[in-house]
Amino acid sequence: MNFELQYTEEQEEFRKEVKTFLETAISKDLKHPVDPKDLTYDQYMIRRAVGKALGEKGWLWPMAPTEYGGGGLSIDHAIIIEEEVGKYGLPIPPYYDSGGRLGGPSILVWGTEEQKQEFLPPIFKGEVRTWQLLSEPSAGSDLAGVQTTAILDGDDYVINGQKIWVGSNHGAEQSWMICLTDPEGKRHENLSWFIVPMDLPGITIVPMDLLTTGGEGGAGTGEKNTIFFDNVRIPATNLIGGLNNGWKVATTHLELEHGGGGQIRKNDLVDRIINYCKTSESLGEPLIKNQDIQDNIVDIFIESEITRLFNLRNYWLAHANKQRTYEGPQSSFYRKTSALRIAEKILDILGPYAITNDEKWGLYDGAIELQHRGAIVGLHPGGTTDIQRVIMSRRIGIGREIKEQAGTLS
Amino acid sequence: MDLSLSPDQELIKNTAREFVSQEFSKETILELDLTESGFNKDLWDSVCEIGWLGILVPEKYGGSENTLTDAAVLYEELGRGPVPGPFFSSGILSVNILLQTANEKQKAEILPKIASGEYIVTPAITEPSYGWDKKYINLSIENNSLTGTKLFVQDGLSATHILCAVRSEKNKDSISIVFIDANSEGISRKQLEGFLSASSEISFKSVKITDDMILGDINTDQWDNLYSGILNSLPILCSYQVGGSQAVFDLSVEYSRTRKQFGQSIGRFQRVQDHIIEIVNNLDAARWTTYEALWKLESNMDSNTSVHLASAVSSEAYLKACDGGHTVHAGIGSLREYGLTLHTQMSRTLYHFLGDPKFHKRKIAKSLNV
Repeated sequence: MNFELQYTEEQEEFRKEVKTFLETAISKDLKHPVDPKDLTYDQYMIRRAVGKALGEKGWLWPMAPTEYGGGGLSIDHAIIIEEEVGKYGLPIPPYYDSGGRLGGPSILVWGTEEQKQEFLPPIFKGEVRTWQLLSEPSAGSDLAGVQTTAILDGDDYVINGQKIWVGSNHGAEQSWMICLTDPEGKRHENLSWFIVPMDLPGITIVPMDLLTTGGEGGAGTGEKNTIFFDNVRIPATNLIGGLNNGWKVATTHLELEHGGGGQIRKNDLVDRIINYCKTSESLGEPLIKNQDIQDNIVDIFIESEITRLFNLRNYWLAHANKQRTYEGPQSSFYRKTSALRIAEKILDILGPYAITNDEKWGLYDGAIELQHRGAIVGLHPGGTTDIQRVIMSRRIGIGREIKEQAGTLS
Repeated sequence: MDLSLSPDQELIKNTAREFVSQEFSKETILELDLTESGFNKDLWDSVCEIGWLGILVPEKYGGSENTLTDAAVLYEELGRGPVPGPFFSSGILSVNILLQTANEKQKAEILPKIASGEYIVTPAITEPSYGWDKKYINLSIENNSLTGTKLFVQDGLSATHILCAVRSEKNKDSISIVFIDANSEGISRKQLEGFLSASSEISFKSVKITDDMILGDINTDQWDNLYSGILNSLPILCSYQVGGSQAVFDLSVEYSRTRKQFGQSIGRFQRVQDHIIEIVNNLDAARWTTYEALWKLESNMDSNTSVHLASAVSSEAYLKACDGGHTVHAGIGSLREYGLTLHTQMSRTLYHFLGDPKFHKRKIAKSLNV
């Protein structure tokens, strides 16, 4: 076994190339707000410019096929790009692009050749940002119960309804959304997916007032929105993966969203807490001398390590094309529940300092306070912890034979 | 990055699984559990024949010099049993301690006999003032003899020889390891009764110690070397616990399918599902922390944190897996012949062996420089 990414000479050469490129591609004005909700329009546009520059070289979606605007590169190169962009505090894509991250691979698996030619290059080249539109006020965990309708009228589908927990600050060019296409049809055989341009008449975006932004995967998600559709017309050719075949298409999307893709990023929260407890005193003693605090820190460390290893395992399973069953939802369940336990341990260690973002007394510019709120809000995106356990049970075959495998990723 | 087992390791796994299912059936393990020492010479000999006692012994001492991960793959299969017997104590822990503490002559004399199975060696470290730090060792060489007690010694009854950690004659700050014939005059051994496996008391009454019985240099404090031997062995003990947790998980999933109540399989109830999911989350946490610790040890990386992490996680995982198993199984789980309690008993026995989770967590704090 080898838990480490190994770099060949060729990779190190490639790294030099990527480094040099990023020095000019990434603006010196790049800044990171503690709370992604505070990302300004200017800062957002800096990130979009990075995305376009990467996209032109095929480095925004390095492993996607070149005929659709991807880089056609191997995992070895993709990792180098991710690592180097990561040194600027940015993921890939360098902005919230959930529809691209989840819809792109779905289109690749389920789209027709024409659709791949039409929709994938703009995503893979960073010309558009795409939001995912799934949840509705009455369809959260029960995604198959979505009520937003898309009804064929001539050459168009006409969309009516409401989607929630959508997107981020500063809009998107298009959406990747699931709609009810056969209101009379059988459950699971009545849904379809669409690419929807967001500048069409009839679309209204209203920001939601939430505890914090939360969200799965990569870039801070920023503000969440409610989106209303009032007789929005889109060409029938924007329907992806076949009419009323949406539940099958969803397996690809949801597998990625449930953590099936894994990740190799490391979390610096533990280092921050240790560092703070070493440098701060109470009654003349560094906090770190307190045995209870030490024990709590070790518990946090252990949970972070398990989360890291589950993610690493999933990353390897996905990239080495190994068979996966319950690992994606397991990783999601563990990450979410442990993040909340960690937040509570930090509350024990730091007391009320853990939940203030006061500019004088808050820690790490409010990052610790934000982690606490984020751990609460983070319990639901991409499927609640209970839903993750339901999926695990099916895939393990608890109480019955195994009926469900992990969704297709390629 | 490659998290798969090598073809050789797959082979070890398959061979071990087949052997364990043939030679160590549930019925056999249940019978062994009723004997005083939990040891059977014929079974021991059959394992020795395959060469598993020499899996970590260097080739020049008659072993097969496999990697730690190779050994871990084997012990994961033994843990599924859970196969009792002094395999780990002799073939892993004692071998690693000897490699760290013995001189060349002693290694050449002892290691081949461990590899062949002629010697069954177990370390005796803990005492009535129980603990796994140096400060808990009181037994001391006085006038070239030992008088006192070692307690909670794993496999003390089946051992032919003991690696006894003692205070040295000349310097009481210094720990020596004495290699003693378990049948020496003045030694009496007793199996401890109760909910533990193969744990014993060893009493020493004026047991004569000569300088050549002391491992390595007589004037060297061997504590750190002893501890290195323990650190190299811990992930393999973790693998045994992973195997045990896996067996409990498999049993529980199977039972969730076959047991019917209220007209359906009990596994259709989400509360039952939750117990099994807790088991698999614990199991996988143990498995992957263990694999990473093995990889770090083999790659000569700084591995202390990872080893203690794996140990803390695996001991808790096996304990909790068994608790979950009993919650799922209810009444039948406590029936001896069902087999679950073999794991439950083993999970409790191993929970403290070579340090309990709290001990390992404090070590993590230390190595994180907290």
